[in-house]
Amino acid sequence: MVAAAALLLFGSMRAQAQVTDVPNPAIFPDPAKFARGLYTEGEIGALIFLGTAQDRIGPGVALGGRVGYDLTRWMALQLHAIGSTHETKFAGMPQAGQIIQLYQGTAELKATIRIVQTSIFLEGGGGVARLSTNILETVGGSGQRNGLTAGGGAGVDYHSLSRHFSVGLRAGYFWLRDIKGSSQITATAYLRYTF
Amino acid sequence: MRGRPAVGVAVPALALTLALALSMSTSACQSLNTPLYFAAQSTLEAGGVDDMGNPRPDGTGSVVLQFRQPTPAEQQKIDADKQRLGFDVPWLQRDRLHIELLYTIKNLDSDPGVFTLRVDGANEYTKYDETAIAGAFKAANQDAVLLPLLRGGPQMLAPGATYQGTLREDDFVEASLDLYAIGKWMASYASVLINRSEVDPVGLEMVPPGAIVPAFYEFDAALSADKHMSCDFLVRIRDDDDRLFHEGSDAQFMPAPTDYVPMIPPKQ
Repeated sequence: MVAAAALLLFGSMRAQAQVTDVPNPAIFPDPAKFARGLYTEGEIGALIFLGTAQDRIGPGVALGGRVGYDLTRWMALQLHAIGSTHETKFAGMPQAGQIIQLYQGTAELKATIRIVQTSIFLEGGGGVARLSTNILETVGGSGQRNGLTAGGGAGVDYHSLSRHFSVGLRAGYFWLRDIKGSSQITATAYLRYTF
Repeated sequence: MRGRPAVGVAVPALALTLALALSMSTSACQSLNTPLYFAAQSTLEAGGVDDMGNPRPDGTGSVVLQFRQPTPAEQQKIDADKQRLGFDVPWLQRDRLHIELLYTIKNLDSDPGVFTLRVDGANEYTKYDETAIAGAFKAANQDAVLLPLLRGGPQMLAPGATYQGTLREDDFVEASLDLYAIGKWMASYASVLINRSEVDPVGLEMVPPGAIVPAFYEFDAALSADKHMSCDFLVRIRDDDDRLFHEGSDAQFMPAPTDYVPMIPPKQ
């Protein structure tokens, strides 16, 4: 009896909790909770021509939008439409000082690397470009009104604490096949909503 | 949580509205500002002396716009308007074709000089040509009174300088009415060309109210200068109903205007 009582009083083992997994560090906000799938973007910025057109068409304000779909966490397919308005230069010619718009529509593939709220991305694609007027055609061999465009760019995105909204900055370089010897750089700020 | 459903509904609606507004504004801008440009084939030169030492004459050049035939529906509308008004209705209408003429003049001389750019032209009924008018005066043994339908200058230009000018859409609105009145309604050309119709409509008494005014389709420019100068010009047109001719898909409208020749009594 005495031995049994002594075992109960003094022989009990120290209790220990069993660790089966390393606890998750606190991630806030959790990117997994950000909406993913169909998204739209509205953007505003500037477009500058390079090459032959740089001497003939001034920089202008650009306004555009995108509709896209996140195929995976890091890959998306998107359609992009952007219009920009410019003033022609043509020093000493009657074509000077005319307003002209450039409209572009492209299909693009976008690759994203996300680090919590911030992500960086690369995107590229091709499509069509159209000038609102034929003024370049009146100046021997400057280019055609309709043509093809292709190129790509990069940007940085910052996701808000809202599940749906993010904002970002992007810049892209696009080659304009039918405005001879020309290309363009676009830089925009955007607001994105993911459904 | 109370606000979430409202935000969840409102934001996609906002995004869609913004996307719609963007596409609508893009297409609206496209339809508001789609001018097409047609440049003169060559540079006009006037003033000074040529390589042979002869005085250089006025430089002249033309732009003739090509238009398509009206569709059956458009022809029906023209016929209905003709029936309603009781007189001829043009296919090329001033209120549907908005025209400007843009030009630059360069003084190629080492001295300052003065230039004048005179612009005549034609609508589908009447061609106004100062040469024909001068011929009529000459036949009547009278001193010619020559007035262009539109004019840029006279303007002094420094040596080597370039002047950029525009004959605006409202100038062509006025000139189109003048040419219509001269060619169709027996207006005195001197009266209507000297006076701006909204200020003094003298000479336009015979033009019936509600008349549909024809637009220019031919532009004849003449540069005169007292020093050696050059001129480049182009016509800018906003074509509301896409009446310009598209090669390969349209039947071409072929106007045959008659030359305007004023009635000048012979000198006694």
